[in-house]
Amino acid sequence: MNITLKVWRQKNADAPGALVEYNVAGVVPEMSFLEMLDALNERLVAEGQDPVAFDSDCREGICGMCDLVIDGQAHGPDKEATTCQLHMRRYRDGDVVTVEPFRAKAFPIVKDLCVDRSAFDRVQAAGGFVSINTGNAVDGNAILIPHDEAEKAMDAAACIGCGACVAACPNASAMLFVAAKVSQYALLPQGRPEREKRVLAMREAMDQEGFGHCTNEYECEAACPKGIKVSNIARLNREYLRAALTSD
Amino acid sequence: MVAAAGLLLCGFLAAHLLGNLLMFAGGGAFNAYAEALEHNPLLPLAEIGLVALFVLHIILSVRATVINRAARPEGYRVYRGKGARTPGSRTMALTGTLILVFIVVHVATFKFDLGGLKGPDLYGHVLGWFANPWYAAFYVLAVGGVGLHLSHGAQSAIQTFGVSHPRYTPLLKTAGLGFAFLIFLGFASLPVYFGFVQKRQACCTGGAHS
Repeated sequence: MNITLKVWRQKNADAPGALVEYNVAGVVPEMSFLEMLDALNERLVAEGQDPVAFDSDCREGICGMCDLVIDGQAHGPDKEATTCQLHMRRYRDGDVVTVEPFRAKAFPIVKDLCVDRSAFDRVQAAGGFVSINTGNAVDGNAILIPHDEAEKAMDAAACIGCGACVAACPNASAMLFVAAKVSQYALLPQGRPEREKRVLAMREAMDQEGFGHCTNEYECEAACPKGIKVSNIARLNREYLRAALTSD
Repeated sequence: MVAAAGLLLCGFLAAHLLGNLLMFAGGGAFNAYAEALEHNPLLPLAEIGLVALFVLHIILSVRATVINRAARPEGYRVYRGKGARTPGSRTMALTGTLILVFIVVHVATFKFDLGGLKGPDLYGHVLGWFANPWYAAFYVLAVGGVGLHLSHGAQSAIQTFGVSHPRYTPLLKTAGLGFAFLIFLGFASLPVYFGFVQKRQACCTGGAHS
């Protein structure tokens, strides 16, 4: 099938960008969306043109590297799927598809569809860790954790940090990401000694990076490829209130 | 803070509505209620508190909106989302502005008597304004805005306070929607009844006001 792409092309962070139209012929339904872009790039390279820059790594939905907004939807039209898990069987011959980068002040465009998401790394580094002495592996059963709590923590820890929540949010807020990271520690005994310090530092770092405020639109949850629930944002708000009222 | 002020304002709305619904009990009951309220020595204090809540709610919302707009300097050429937004959530700024305009008109006409319709009692004063179909229609439109604003605001405040329970949160959210709808229905019933229904009855059947 033939697909018409409207792709955001931008030389660098400071250059103005624009949507450029490309026709991609010979697309087969088994191709992933990224493989379709690969096919386009092979052609562009053969023609001596600059290929479209986009991010990807594992291409099996676990690394959080791919990050496209396809027809106005972060990671495309599928539920709980990353861009690399989107396949061309979703489209029909002659479809016109618009591809844009994740847009947020905190995620500056590097080139074309590539954005710099290191803001997430800095937010994580502000408090998204547990301070423990490493050394010999401790007895796995020394700290008992109720199964349902462990499950909730694991659900929060499923966040791959792709940034789709920011891309989908009308306010470019990073609340779902921060909520997932705060929750995965707050739910486990190992994370509790530093819970107040963590939530205050991560919220502070989040605002510093220029992400917007949460207005509870829940587009983040709808866009999240890992199904992170907004109940984590409620937990983040609880943790924050608790820390703001009790920490010294 | 936006949520806290918003919830307190909801409390005011509920109390205000209950008082207003006394209009259905006739002029005597409504006027007696208004008299009692006006002579309550705590009224100025409540008014100051109310204004403070509104100012706080508005300033912080505007500030958040400015920050949120700045968080995405260049918008999407195509933005569709995945259907989580609601008509209420999309229009918070619009309905908020509508409510502010309405409150200014509302306080100017009913409290400070702009337009000079003040009669011997408040009941007649209100009926005088509702007799103007434009005023009554604007009133309905504005309380519709209040309902839409609350349809997002109520559940949003619940989330902001960190309330999250697999069974009770959906119930609370439904209750929030119900509250928004009741507030709309309650306030809209007054201009609709006194401005349109009763007026038509009066003209066509020769019936008198209660």
